[in-house]
Amino acid sequence: MGPILEVNRLTKRFGGLTAVTGLDFELREGEILGLIGPNGAGKTTTFNIIAGAYAADEGEVRFAGESILGLPPHQIARRGIMRTFQHNRPFGGMPVLENVMVGAHTRFARNPFSRKAPVEERHQRQRAQELIEFVGLGGLHAADVGTLSFGQGRLLEIARALAGEPRVILFDEPAAGLTAAELDRLAGIIRGIAERGIAVLLIEHDMRFLLPLASRVVVLNFGARIAEGTPQEVRSQRAVMDAYLGDAAAL
Amino acid sequence: MRTLGWVAGFALLAVLPFFLGSYHNDVYRKLLLWITLALGYNFLFGICGQVAFSHFAFYGIGAYSVVILLFQVGLPLPVAILLGVVICVALALAVAIPATRLEGFYLALVTLALAQLFIVVLNEGGNVTGGAGGIANYRLPPILGWRIAGPAYTVVIVALLAATLAVLWRLDHSWFGRACRAVRDNPEAAAAMGVDVARTKVIVFTLTSALAGIAGMVYAFVDNTVNPPIFGIDNAFLILFMVIVGGAGRHAGAAIGAILLFLAPFWLSPLVGHHHQLVFGVLMVAVILMQPKGLIGLWDRFSK
Repeated sequence: MGPILEVNRLTKRFGGLTAVTGLDFELREGEILGLIGPNGAGKTTTFNIIAGAYAADEGEVRFAGESILGLPPHQIARRGIMRTFQHNRPFGGMPVLENVMVGAHTRFARNPFSRKAPVEERHQRQRAQELIEFVGLGGLHAADVGTLSFGQGRLLEIARALAGEPRVILFDEPAAGLTAAELDRLAGIIRGIAERGIAVLLIEHDMRFLLPLASRVVVLNFGARIAEGTPQEVRSQRAVMDAYLGDAAAL
Repeated sequence: MRTLGWVAGFALLAVLPFFLGSYHNDVYRKLLLWITLALGYNFLFGICGQVAFSHFAFYGIGAYSVVILLFQVGLPLPVAILLGVVICVALALAVAIPATRLEGFYLALVTLALAQLFIVVLNEGGNVTGGAGGIANYRLPPILGWRIAGPAYTVVIVALLAATLAVLWRLDHSWFGRACRAVRDNPEAAAAMGVDVARTKVIVFTLTSALAGIAGMVYAFVDNTVNPPIFGIDNAFLILFMVIVGGAGRHAGAAIGAILLFLAPFWLSPLVGHHHQLVFGVLMVAVILMQPKGLIGLWDRFSK
């Protein structure tokens, strides 16, 4: 079986700055791929291109064999690529359960006036409940999102993305701002997601979090791929050490 | 059980006019129409987060359309109603498609311009709109040989309110209503969840504008006269006040706000004359500062 997500020769320029240069990588179902690199390496730009927030100047992004480059974010979500935000972006006017159900938006097939619509609504409500339990927010389904801690807000982001039944899930620095205990729980959740057969693309700064978790790692520096391989292979490469010079202890 | 409660409630509202005199029937009809308008505007402003000032103008467009099509063009009633809805939908799309694709205050500005332009067109419309004097002295044509008048016409307005609420309620309690709230709370996150933000805004604006237009058509046969001052811009702000004071985003809030602000002048006028506007202004500021969730938020707090 081919890769679910393929990035080929991807290039993005902002004026004179080339943020991403001829980037290639692929992602398979059930795999956790880490995209790492120092600040300004082009990780977030790559992420935003895949999610549809930015256009690319050159190259290709293919999902399940079809090009998705240039599609708006809502159509990318509809195809089965869901994302979380680095800075939590909950829907503040809704309780936790309703937030998760927005994530299921593309899963609704019924016209709201159809007689079967309430059945579908109940079914999705049930699923949302299960996802809330899965990420460890059980009991908080009726809570106002404003009362959640930062870490709980991150878990809500994940439950909401999973509600869209994604085939690919994109995590934008999910470890940022979490406590050690929360990181352990998060790692467990991400493993659980990959075990469900979902392809996970993890953009991460925190190596201590990423390396034990990822099945494969792509290292970026100045917008280009400088290394790729298992965490063990990448850890020992000279170019990676240089890119993280001064931060080598983190490896 | 719950459905039964609603049916009983609306049945009560429909029976009530038969026990009211003609003056109170008139007040009651207008109250029901204001609630209908506030419910629609609440869906647009409170639930979908779109600030528009054209809701009352569409009420006027509906009223004028049906009157002109019936009595100036001479179309039969069902055709006039249908065509009136088509006019409202077409105008709403023409405003919403360009405006909602832009960011920020464009919808507010464009709809404010539309509301002003509507009054100008009414005044300058010559024989078609009747100019500054409007059109008067017409009557609702008989429907299947039956002239609906008096309390029976009030029942039509109760039915309009019930139908409007049913449509909005069903939408609100579905994926569509959730998408609207998501667009209001965080458009970027909504798009990432698969919500087509621009399309959602256009649909909601068009739907609520058409509902206002239909309410306007019903209104046309309440006073049996349409003229420019009835559809003035101050009413656009009054609807906004009703929704904010009652509690934006909640059907009950919109209804409470409409009831309170519609009836308040009747109580306040003997005390303060035309200064009730001032009282509204103070009430508005007080609500925004002290209870942003409106009166319904206050109710929630005390009922817990």
